[in-house]
Amino acid sequence: MTRLRRVGRLVLALLRELADENAYARHLAAHGRAPSGKEWRRFSEERWRARAVDPKCC
Amino acid sequence: MKKIFQHLLWAVVAAMAAIALGAIALYRGEAINSMWLVVAAACTYAVGFRFYGKFIAARVLALDDQRATPAERLRDGHDFEPTNKWILFGHHFAAIAGPGPLVGPVLAAQFGYLPGALWIIAGAVLGGAVQDFVILFASMRRDGKSLGQMAREEIGKIGGFTALLTVLFIMIILLAVIALVVVNALKGSPWGTFTIAATMPIAVFMGIYLRYLRPGRVLETSLIGLVLVVAAIFGGQAVSLSPTLAPLFTLSGVALALAIILYGFLASALPVWLLLAPRGYLSTFAKLGVIFLLAAGILLVRPGLQLPAFTRFTDGTGPIFGGKIFPFCFITIACGAVSGFHSLISSGTTPKMIGKERHAWPIGYGSMLVEGFVALMALIAACSLQPGVYFAVNSPAGVVGTTPRAAVATISAWGFPVSVPQMESLSESVGEKTLFHRTGGAPSLALGMAQIFARTGGGRAILGFWYHFAIMFEALFILTLIDAGTRVGRFMLQELLGHLSKPLGRTHWMPGVIGTSAAIVLAWGYFLYQGVTDPLGGINSLWPLFGVANQLLAVVALSVASTILLKMHRTRYFWITGVPLAWLVVVTFTAGWQKIFSPLPNIGFLAHAGQLAGRLGAGGLTAAQIAETRRLMFNDRLDAIVCGAFVVLVALILVDSLRVWVGILRGTREAKVNEAPFVLSQLEPEEI
Repeated sequence: MTRLRRVGRLVLALLRELADENAYARHLAAHGRAPSGKEWRRFSEERWRARAVDPKCC
Repeated sequence: MKKIFQHLLWAVVAAMAAIALGAIALYRGEAINSMWLVVAAACTYAVGFRFYGKFIAARVLALDDQRATPAERLRDGHDFEPTNKWILFGHHFAAIAGPGPLVGPVLAAQFGYLPGALWIIAGAVLGGAVQDFVILFASMRRDGKSLGQMAREEIGKIGGFTALLTVLFIMIILLAVIALVVVNALKGSPWGTFTIAATMPIAVFMGIYLRYLRPGRVLETSLIGLVLVVAAIFGGQAVSLSPTLAPLFTLSGVALALAIILYGFLASALPVWLLLAPRGYLSTFAKLGVIFLLAAGILLVRPGLQLPAFTRFTDGTGPIFGGKIFPFCFITIACGAVSGFHSLISSGTTPKMIGKERHAWPIGYGSMLVEGFVALMALIAACSLQPGVYFAVNSPAGVVGTTPRAAVATISAWGFPVSVPQMESLSESVGEKTLFHRTGGAPSLALGMAQIFARTGGGRAILGFWYHFAIMFEALFILTLIDAGTRVGRFMLQELLGHLSKPLGRTHWMPGVIGTSAAIVLAWGYFLYQGVTDPLGGINSLWPLFGVANQLLAVVALSVASTILLKMHRTRYFWITGVPLAWLVVVTFTAGWQKIFSPLPNIGFLAHAGQLAGRLGAGGLTAAQIAETRRLMFNDRLDAIVCGAFVVLVALILVDSLRVWVGILRGTREAKVNEAPFVLSQLEPEEI
């Protein structure tokens, strides 16, 4: 049961990482800011601007 | 005792790999079960990962957890961030897995299941995973530098510039060929076209929802998006049955190509948050979900392989693309065995997020093996179709005849019986007007996947839903790749043009943005239009061109990797990257040569142009036919020039690398390893 719970937590963490939710949490922690619409827009624009120059795989 | 048990366990795994490989290689006659392929791949990959991967990690690259990674030293909470290895594994896998490992194996199935299966198994263990792992390691030890930057530092300025130019050219061909796959899948299909068209307003809704209504709730937004996309599949069925709506969504190949070109331009110029970002999230989750579903479906259904181990087309006369197993099987399946494009991901975001050096082993080597598994599943899905159906779907009208009667007569004469009523019944059950001449790989893969999914429950009654679900998933992430790829191509072009004119290099200067976006879209749009209007389906010329280009990029990556290994160990471990490099040089240069100069018109671009010139010279053609023939001849010659340019560019990098290697071995060049200096890691394993 504990192992199943651990796998579940890992899957959720992976989904949150893929969804950039973990990165947003890190961004808030690094800058000492609270979540808000303005902060999310600032974070996601910065993140996607950086991501847009990365080649995508076939 | 534990050690003896472990040795015994690995001996059993190795024996199972040998038995399964032997069975699929030697068994002839009745259809074999796909589980033989699954066991052969799973056991070979496990042994490869545990022993070969570990050997490279420990002895060759000497991964050291005491050494701080860039994620620790340069930690900024954004790009550089130590991340849990399994989370990063998933992240890296999601980034390397695209349409390539799904489409390539389906096309290569024209040779039978065996050549593709063996190449996917051996190529991934000895080539693809090694390339991804060594490049990931090299970038990690160089503060996350890109392949181009490493080529410039390790080989020289020519290598760096040529790498950038090669990537840009490859990107253009890649975008054209994958757009062609989507066009061929949606041509004349109101159900599919409606579903894909609906994903655009869904993505825009998601973008607005995420930006203004629920900022930061990406998982919640993606879940809503997925529910809406599934609803759109049901909506597509209603549209296809409506006498008023169906004609609106029944588009020709040319109309679809123009729509995709317009979409590519708008998507690359629109704000990222509105379309690209929400589609990106949606596509990532759909991709991982469907791969997981397909794996579960194959394990539950355990389909038999209907295609033989080898077909008659090993002689090079295949209807899907011309050419023999060597070299064409090895360039048709690039992603899934060895893919040069992976080196761009391995030197992109991933090296900046590795918390401990030893994590590079499962992330770099392991995720490529999982991609090999995805390719194998696509091969199984295609080979589980009845051979006559497989060839009827994938063969262009220019080869098998334009009418259903002509097509079934040609295909049955090849020894793969199929009938018109059988094809009609199949198209009816998936809600399509016809399944003949649906080249590109996506429709036959969708058909194979749909049959597997339908057998897990629901049967023939829900075959149509699963078929369009599979088409939606393939088109969704291909279109995501098109909008993201066009944007990346635009940045690359701006970087190159910035050397000529500073304003053109500025990524926020609107005239520059619009001009470079238009240039990239027109470049891939031209090749797309060429493919759509090609009587032979376009895939036969564009997919090999893409395969050659992708594998040539692997030659660039392995040249950089070999140079680094030579500097680290001289010739001792050079073979690790040197052998796959030598193989790919032989394969790609042979394929490039044959595509340009083969005297057979079904293979060589120039021979095909010559054949068309002969028809033109013989006379008797109408004015429209003359114009059409001239256009086809121009396209053949253009393809030959593009193929030649790829080969010359990579030959330049190779010669430059050889110059460096000879210099190091003779002692006339310093074998300087350009790694970041050693810093002791303070990061506790529990922190990641």
